Amino acid sequence: MSRICFHHVHKRYGKFKEYAVKDFNLEVEDREFLVFVGSSGCGKSTTLRMLAGLEDISEGEIYIGDTIVNEMPPKDRDISMVFQNYALYPNMSVYDNIAFGLQMRKLPKHEIDLSVKRAARVLEIENFLDRKPRELSGGQRQRVALGRAIVRTPQAFLMDEPLSNLDAKLRVQMRSEIISLHKKIGVTTIYVTHDQIEAMTMGDRIVVMEKGIVQQVDTPEKVYNQPVNLFVANFIGNPPMNFVHGRLEEHGGGLEFHTNRFALKLTEKQAYTLRRLNLVDKGIIFGVRPENISFEQIMLEASPHSTINGTMELSEFVGSDRYYHMNIGMEKNLVARAHPRYHFDDGMKASVAVDMNKTLFFHKDTGILLTE
Amino acid sequence: MQESRLIAMKRRLTVKWEDFVLALRLLERAQIWIAILLLPLAIFMLLPLVYLFNHAFKPLHELFLFPPTFIVREPTTGNFVELLALSESTIVPVSRYIFNSIVVTFLSTIAMVVTGAMCAYPLSKHPFPGSKIVLGLIMLALLFATEAVAIPRFIVIQSLGIMNTYLGHVLPLVALPVGVFLLKQFMDQIPNDLMEAAKIDGAREFTIFMRIVIPLVNPAIATISILAFQSAWGNTETSTLFMQEDAMKTLPFYMSTLTSGLANSVARQGAAAAGALIMFIPPLVVFIVSQRKVITTMAHSGIK
Repeated sequence: MSRICFHHVHKRYGKFKEYAVKDFNLEVEDREFLVFVGSSGCGKSTTLRMLAGLEDISEGEIYIGDTIVNEMPPKDRDISMVFQNYALYPNMSVYDNIAFGLQMRKLPKHEIDLSVKRAARVLEIENFLDRKPRELSGGQRQRVALGRAIVRTPQAFLMDEPLSNLDAKLRVQMRSEIISLHKKIGVTTIYVTHDQIEAMTMGDRIVVMEKGIVQQVDTPEKVYNQPVNLFVANFIGNPPMNFVHGRLEEHGGGLEFHTNRFALKLTEKQAYTLRRLNLVDKGIIFGVRPENISFEQIMLEASPHSTINGTMELSEFVGSDRYYHMNIGMEKNLVARAHPRYHFDDGMKASVAVDMNKTLFFHKDTGILLTE
Repeated sequence: MQESRLIAMKRRLTVKWEDFVLALRLLERAQIWIAILLLPLAIFMLLPLVYLFNHAFKPLHELFLFPPTFIVREPTTGNFVELLALSESTIVPVSRYIFNSIVVTFLSTIAMVVTGAMCAYPLSKHPFPGSKIVLGLIMLALLFATEAVAIPRFIVIQSLGIMNTYLGHVLPLVALPVGVFLLKQFMDQIPNDLMEAAKIDGAREFTIFMRIVIPLVNPAIATISILAFQSAWGNTETSTLFMQEDAMKTLPFYMSTLTSGLANSVARQGAAAAGALIMFIPPLVVFIVSQRKVITTMAHSGIK
């Protein structure tokens, strides 16, 4: 168990000029559960593989504990890894699959036996120990792959999209099992996923990556509520945040967000920050999460300066909520997430109130978050 | 229901009569038609073997019968007796040829499989600059007939000073391009994740090769073993070219001397027929033993 540190790590493949991973700096605390999340090709797996020693590091250093591991072969790094497609040795039984790592480290037989059985008990795969991987279901294979990782007590667990080959229901179950396993064993874990729900539910901290560059490293709450830029705001959250382009204008002593269809009055705090940034009469991007848009009459009456009118285009029923897609005359529909009791026929006029305290403003050109 | 029974059958390993009937019932009509069409072809392919077996037991007058018959009418072991008698009269006993053949075949088969696998592994899993060219050159070697390289080979064997040694038999056979190619194709299908998982588990390259790669390409190894066995067992070239001492020559060479090759089509036909059968049996046994794996390989790699 150990801290892991990335220090200005770059990765470039062969002759390509572009970096697959660019200036990656990160400290992973001991016993932390850290999640790398991003769309495919964002460099998250590459970073993990560099840490595992499966890819060369083009520039920079990676530390495990106090040792630089750049030139260290994978077997000496004392880590274990779970692969997306499990990577179980098809020619070996489940027992041998789990025991392989210990055999390679030349542990005495009785110790291996003890460790394998303990790991199997934790993961409830004791009954399959003499089966071959092909005789197991996807979920059982995944458990064996986890067993192979936890049978040793490495410095860190690396998991490369371990749940993406499972069906939705099993994924949810394994997700909570991995979390409780981490609580039980307490080994530093780095988990790669493209699934933001996995990232949000599992991580102590989340690293959001895009095009090989770290966008934000923070707790799930912070990443959700205060995304540092448009990319993170858009990537995290489902349905994604609504973005509207407009201008800031002074109006009757307050600052307002103006589009050619509607105007919203900013809070004192937002107005203060944006005035200080000298953004009055300039273009800006306004962002609001679907759940911060309300159809409640009480809200509409209480805040007449923060309502938007539009026509209902469609609504999606998802059980506990309904997603309402509303045409507000901008290029994109405004999506609201509310209790499914509201019924609107398609094409009906509707008004919504925006909870201005929870809205965000982003810079028009750089996409950086301007308000907190 | 039927599918689950079929799976159960595969697990059980032993095949019962009812399983056979079940399998037949599962065949679709089209499959039955194809089987009916293929059956005569299969029989046709079998004819040389039938002929070979019968021929060995034919008495002299049947051997030269015209038109020739497939099935022996008055089977006799006379041909084998003649072969034995012949071998007793030679200076080098036949047992020596048989011994040589076994040693040479055994050594070359192992050498071919080992070098083939060790050559295919880096080509497949650790590509280096120019590895494609190397593979291309190996494939190119398939194009050369043995006759074309006989003289260079002779010069090499001679300058190595391994004439009249077992090494002289084995060395020219070691490189088996088909084997390298087949194994490479098989190894290409092994996911890299497996090797990476093993690396993280602490395995060295050689352990990965022996404990993961080789077991996974087992069917291909079986196929190559047969190919290697066949080419080594039936090979007369090394005996003819590189062995001047009679005591170092192999059984197929001896068999070819029985009838003096193609120069003679009358004398000792009986002994030759018996000899042909004897030569044929070992490859047949090897094939029967490993046929299941071989057929998997053929199905996998698309070669026929």
